[in-house]
This record gives sequence, structure tokens and C-alpha cells, in this order.
Amino acid sequence: MSMVRFDQVAKRYSGGKEALAGVSFELERGEMAFLTGHSGAGKSTLLKLMMLMERPSRGQIFVDGQNLNRLTPSQIPYHRRKIGVVFQNHQLLFDRTVYDNVALPLLIAGYNHMDCARRVRAALDSVGLLGLEGRKPVELSGGEQQRVGIARAVVNKPALLLADEPTGNLDPDLSEEIMDLFMRFQQVGVTVLIATHDISLIESMNKRRLILEHGMILEDRHVF
Amino acid sequence: MSSNRRNDPRAQVGASLAERPAETRSRPESGPGALQQHIGFKDKLVAGFLHHQMVAVETLLQLLAHPASSLMTWLVIAIAVTLPGALWMSVSNVEQLSGSIRESGRITLYLNDTASNEQGRQLAATLERLETIDEVIFISHEQALENFRRTSGMADALDLLPGNPLPVTLVVQPASSLDATSIRSLSERLREYPDVAAAQLDMAWLERLRAWLVLVQRMVWVLGGLLALAILLVVGNTIRLAIAARVDEIRVSKLVGATNAWVRRPFLYTGLWYGLVGGLMAWLMLIVLWLLLKQPAADLASRYGSGFELAALEPAAAMVLLIGSMLLGWAGAWWSVSHHLDEIEP
Repeated sequence: MSMVRFDQVAKRYSGGKEALAGVSFELERGEMAFLTGHSGAGKSTLLKLMMLMERPSRGQIFVDGQNLNRLTPSQIPYHRRKIGVVFQNHQLLFDRTVYDNVALPLLIAGYNHMDCARRVRAALDSVGLLGLEGRKPVELSGGEQQRVGIARAVVNKPALLLADEPTGNLDPDLSEEIMDLFMRFQQVGVTVLIATHDISLIESMNKRRLILEHGMILEDRHVF
Repeated sequence: MSSNRRNDPRAQVGASLAERPAETRSRPESGPGALQQHIGFKDKLVAGFLHHQMVAVETLLQLLAHPASSLMTWLVIAIAVTLPGALWMSVSNVEQLSGSIRESGRITLYLNDTASNEQGRQLAATLERLETIDEVIFISHEQALENFRRTSGMADALDLLPGNPLPVTLVVQPASSLDATSIRSLSERLREYPDVAAAQLDMAWLERLRAWLVLVQRMVWVLGGLLALAILLVVGNTIRLAIAARVDEIRVSKLVGATNAWVRRPFLYTGLWYGLVGGLMAWLMLIVLWLLLKQPAADLASRYGSGFELAALEPAAAMVLLIGSMLLGWAGAWWSVSHHLDEIEP
């Protein structure tokens, strides 16, 4: 069973703009793929549909075997707990410490404090930020902030990791480090889908590429 | 940066899973990195309870961290609770006072038209000797006419009458030991006297007081209702601002899987704290009010020869105010949260 399956998915916003026009693809478990295309090609919409931040106008989406159309609003939070997300602007809470930021998904899922502390340390360690728990995000560099965002996305050990322009604000060296991190998560079995327009960065990475244009998949370049 | 880190067991994303096999459910096809911890129902219950506890403490600390703005809201609630509380206190005091007043209605006896002033004076003297009667006030034909001329405003009409139509009147003050029923039976007996045409028992002022009390009690309820609405709006608005200040946090929390209940919880506790502390302050204000009024009220009562003492709000009534205030704070928060929180979707 694939981790993600899109079946003729279309999304038309209430303004009439068609963001996706019949997209089909599958992501296998443990696969890593890039989603590219011009801005406005539908990358963000595709990720939002998987997070149920939006509902498709047509078609079906399966995540971990679950048909998302069948999920009621009250089931959405539990669906989201299965997915880690990384944002371009990392969406950190700037009045909280690094620890509190990373621990948020665990608190929400109802972990006790000991488990929580252990998992937060493990997550921070995996992104190379162990020891910065007590800092505020504002004291960190852009690259470090993004890694806190990644730590928060993986702290709950999700089977699926989504990233929306995770290197958007970073210089090439830092971007490479971030991509390196994502590859490491793939190596331990996480399915990873990264939306990015940074073609030069992913050219060298030898991963599958889904190229979106005008709401359609223009090219699905598998790497074997 | 990290080939050595990769070998570090702590760096493995799934490394810690081996420590607690009872709680974990492995998914071999996903590899260690994709493992999710399965949390049992009991653990969830405990975690939920702990989260309630944590949120309760955190929200209180947060309110105390901004004492100036919190105090404003607390004072508004306290005053809104104190007003009906004070009225309630006064009403129950007056009620108690009116209950303790001897049911001393006055009896007015109208004599026959034919009865002369002299006969009236004799009857007055006879009645005054009775043990059940304290005092008899005699009002002659002429006095009655004069009183009527003064109070009715129909002096000209009276002048047209050939004679004096008003009877001799005796106002009887029953003994203070008599209760309402004895006064009524006394009134019946007085009516039997030969010269008496009619006896009118005058307990109207007491009935008027009762009517006033009912009215004021009703006013307390209406005022209480309005002020309860005010508390709802004040807390609702305060919570609305708190929600607006934490939009980012709410959005991020929902993105990482927070349920609406989880997001709502801190705001509901904040409302509860507003109500509880506001209610406690109101209680304090009512005690201060009582202390301030106690002595003057006793002085006033002693001028009337009464040993009346102002009673404080009973503990039960105070509890009602406190719990009511708490519920209002909570309801105000709920109202605000249900209006504004659902609008915030990631």
C-alpha cells in the first residue's frame, strides 16, 4: 500500500481559480520526492490538501490508506498528527523557547513530561541543535530556526513528512544542509515530499521529481 | 556536519522507541523512523487530566503576569457581582426586620352618626382600660370634619352640606403583645360594641412594605440578569482580544493536530479564573460594605428602640454569587471562543 495516492484530484477555489486540474500520483512508503513548478503551479495547494487545510473539489486522496474525503472535521486533528510539516517561514512561536516549540505536537498528542523531554531532545539532536532548548527562536540564525521547525515536524515520529519551500529563505550552503537532513529522515523510513522551486539544489540529489504546471503534473521523473 | 552524529544512537529518530515496548506499536514496513507511539486510553486520560491541571495553572499565572489589565477585568466583574449582592443583602435584612416587627395594625372605629362626642369619649375611656389595648385616640365630629377639609380638597363642597356628615372616630392601638390573628379578633369584638358602626383594621402599611419587598426583589433579579449579561460581554470581549493575540499559536497548534477542545481549553480556564477571582473580590467588597454599614444601621435601629443588627450575606448566598460568577466567566469565554476560534483555520 502506498503512503500517498492522488486520484484525479482537482481543486477550484471559490474565486474560480483552478489550482489543481486532475492530479494523479503515488508515493511509496519511505520514498522521497520533490514537487517543483512555478509559483502558482499548485504546489502549496497539493500539500494543503494532504493536510486537510483544504478539501478537493473533485477526486480522491489517500494518505496511509485513509481516504481523506471520508474524514469528518473532528477527525482532522488526528489525521494531522500522522504528518510532519515544515514551512518556508517555519511558523515558530517566537514567545516560546525552542523546547516549547518542538514539544507542542507532543503536548497536543498527550505525551507525559518525561516522554516529551526525551523525544524533544532526540528530535533536536537529530537536527543538530541539542543544547539550544532554552533559547528563544529569535536568538537563532535562519538556518537554525528552520531546523527547529524540522525538529517539531519529526518529534512525533510521523510516517509522512511534508515540506513547503523549506529552503526558501536560506543561502545555498544552509539549503544543502537542510536537504541533507531530509535525506537522513528518508533513510530511517520516513516518506518525504518537498515542494521547492530551487531546481539547482535538487538537480544533484537524484530523487524523484514531480513537476507541476497549470495544476497538472507535467512530468513525473522517477529515479532508479 | 553529521556522519558521526548519525552513528550516535541518540541521533536516530526512532532510537528511543525500544525503551518502552508496552506503549509502542511497531510498523516494520515503515522502518524505525516512521514509528508512531500508540497511546492507550488510560494514558490519554491521565495526560488529559495533567493538561487540564497545567492549563489551569498556566492561565492563572498568565493573568497574574499582567496584573494591571487582569485587575481591570476582575474589578468590573467584582462590581457587577457586588451590586446585586448588596441589594440582595439589604432585601433579606428588610425581610428579616419586617418579620420581627409586631404585627401591630391600628384599628379605626367609626361610631354611629347619632353618637355624640361625649359618648365617643366614654367609649374611648372604656376601651383604654382593656388589657388588649394600649392607646385610644379620640377624634371628634369637628376634628374629623377639619381633617377631611384639609386632606380631601373638597372644602367648598362640604360647605354646601347642611350638617356635619362625619362620625366620631376612635383610633385604637392594640397591645404590642398581640399577633396578627389576635388583632383581627379584637377588631371583630370592637365592632360588636353598641355605638360602633364600623371597624377598619389598618395593616395596609405592612402590606405595602411586603409589596415593596416583592418589587425590590424582582428588581434584584432584573438588575442581576443585566449585570450577568454585562459580565458575559466583558469576559467575552477580553477573551476575544486574548484570542486575537494568539492567532499564530492557535493556527500552528491546529496544524500539528490540536483538537478544537485543546485549543479552547486555555481560554475557558482564563474565563473561569476571571469569574472566580472577580467573585472573590465581590465577596470581599460585600464584607467591607457590611462592616461599614453595621454600626450606622444599629444606631438607626436603636433610635427606633429596636435591637436590629444588620446581618452579613449568608455563606450559602455568597457561594451562589461565587459559583454564579465563575459560571458566567466560563460562559463568556465559551461564547467568545465559539464565535472566534472556528474562524481561525490554518
